[in-house]
Amino acid sequence: MTADRFDLGGGEPIITLRDVAKSYWRGAQEIPVLQGIDIEIPAGSYIALMGPSGSGKTTLLNLIAGIDRPTGGSLEVCGHELNGLDDDELASWRNAHVGFIFQNYNLVPVLNAFENVELPLLLTGAGRRERRERVGQALALVNLADQMWSYPRQLSGGQEQRVAIARAIVTDPDLLVADEPTGALDAKNAEEVLALMERLNTELGKTIVMVTHDPKAAHHARHQIHLEKGVFDRTVEVNR
Amino acid sequence: MRWLALIWKSLMRSKRRTLLIVGSLVLSVFTVAVLQSLLTTLDAVTNNPNSSNRLVVRHKSGLTQMLPRSYEAYLRQQPEVETVCAIQWFGGYYQDPRNFFANFASDETTLFQTFREEFGISGITEAQIKDYLRDGAGCIVGESLAKKNGWKVGDVVPLTGTIFPISPRLTIRLIFRSPKPSDENVLHFHYKVLEEGVPRMKGLVGSFWARTRRSEDIPRLIERVDRHFANSAYETLTETENAFNLSFVRMLGNIGAIIQGITAAVVVAIVIVTGNTMATAIRERATEIAVFRAMGFSAGRVLVLLLSEGVLLVGAGGLFGVMLAHLAAGGIRGSLGAAMPFFADFAILPHTVFACLAGALAIGMLATFIPAYAATRRPITDGLKAVG
Repeated sequence: MTADRFDLGGGEPIITLRDVAKSYWRGAQEIPVLQGIDIEIPAGSYIALMGPSGSGKTTLLNLIAGIDRPTGGSLEVCGHELNGLDDDELASWRNAHVGFIFQNYNLVPVLNAFENVELPLLLTGAGRRERRERVGQALALVNLADQMWSYPRQLSGGQEQRVAIARAIVTDPDLLVADEPTGALDAKNAEEVLALMERLNTELGKTIVMVTHDPKAAHHARHQIHLEKGVFDRTVEVNR
Repeated sequence: MRWLALIWKSLMRSKRRTLLIVGSLVLSVFTVAVLQSLLTTLDAVTNNPNSSNRLVVRHKSGLTQMLPRSYEAYLRQQPEVETVCAIQWFGGYYQDPRNFFANFASDETTLFQTFREEFGISGITEAQIKDYLRDGAGCIVGESLAKKNGWKVGDVVPLTGTIFPISPRLTIRLIFRSPKPSDENVLHFHYKVLEEGVPRMKGLVGSFWARTRRSEDIPRLIERVDRHFANSAYETLTETENAFNLSFVRMLGNIGAIIQGITAAVVVAIVIVTGNTMATAIRERATEIAVFRAMGFSAGRVLVLLLSEGVLLVGAGGLFGVMLAHLAAGGIRGSLGAAMPFFADFAILPHTVFACLAGALAIGMLATFIPAYAATRRPITDGLKAVG
């Protein structure tokens, strides 16, 4: 179904973007990447951001995740107006509310799976016992409890991505952002990772925003939002 | 896992690089610590507080020229002078020419009074001094020298002359302990032995060492003594003992400038090496730093983590370097101390340790701060796009 307005249905919005714009500057030349982005995404959504290269989907994801700032408009994510937060406040906000899943996993090679997943918890003030419990739960959720002490080099790509997902959810964030999470995986591992993300959405109620080129991956989302040259092109509700 | 474990694991990311940088720091700090300690040792030679009341009177033309012993009477008459000791460098060796140590023919009657601090006079009994005074072929030796050669009181030490054609056999009558090890590497015997064995030395001596009552009197006394003997056949050069010692140190050249020059070169080199290594290490972790920040680590916290790595790395190098220098100091005292007595006092003093560690830590901070600060100011999105 194609929507005329970018309203993704009922529920309290967890992400609200009002006239968001983002430009980069090359010398004196302004290069607009996103323009006039207006959207409300309800909590518990699973969104696939799609579009050709240069359409602005990763930029939009970065703005929603609070690792980049817009040049215009406002963003309210997880109950916070991001424009009003300074860099340190934004960092604390990300730790509390956002989990990141990257294409290349980005695990720290000198830390084992347990330590990699534990990293975001070091900022929360959780005690050692609590950290151990939460890391154990997160790794169990991604079926890697038996690989707790393995280092990234000892894991397959799929396992590495599952450790990265455990790291993303260990602080129990409201929002997961994923940039091409299956881009570096073979079909079997990609399917496992996507199934896991789907479970996080349906069973734990996590809101997921995923950038992908892969129609198969996008099919796991509930809505697909297509961007074209920095503006919304269309949304598609996925029938599963 | 706590912060220290995280820092440690990051440091061990490239063990070879970490070992190489620590190794280069160990060598640099070792070099600086040893060189600065050498400077401190030489400085102590020329700024000995025990020497502040003593003057050395010698021939104006140099140490190889002699002065009449009769000059001693004039020196004694000066109201500022407490005691005078005639001393001649003998330059003999024991058994092997390589077994070199300082040995002097000296006026036994005034020796102890003139150098009472060096002889640790409070630890010497009247009876011991009398034993030495009674035996014209007697000698006294410092404890370090006695230990090195396995000597004890009563042993006979045959000394082979290199400057004078005599080889006296001397009986040890006293082994003294001095507050400073360098003052224990010495042997004194009666001046008479030299005068009687070497006819040309009859009535002559190389130098007089005068002890004054007050150090403030010294400048006036120096001027008066040299003026008194001016235009005589034996003109004098009178100077403080520290100035006399300085003239020996100067024979090594402008050693202070050389040492400071080498130290500066080592410090600059290590700043460049450490800075380049840390910059490379941090640049390689651009993506990881961006991921840390995306997870919620503030730029300040990442900066502190990176600085801690740098400081720990350089601090370890500095600590090991100072420890190595401390070990080497023992070797230097043992090997060079006998040949050059001031080396017997060679030590890595606390202020040198502190300066080396503080310097190393400052280098660590400086070398890490610039690349770390730049890395934490880089936009997260740029870091995530970086390769490596």
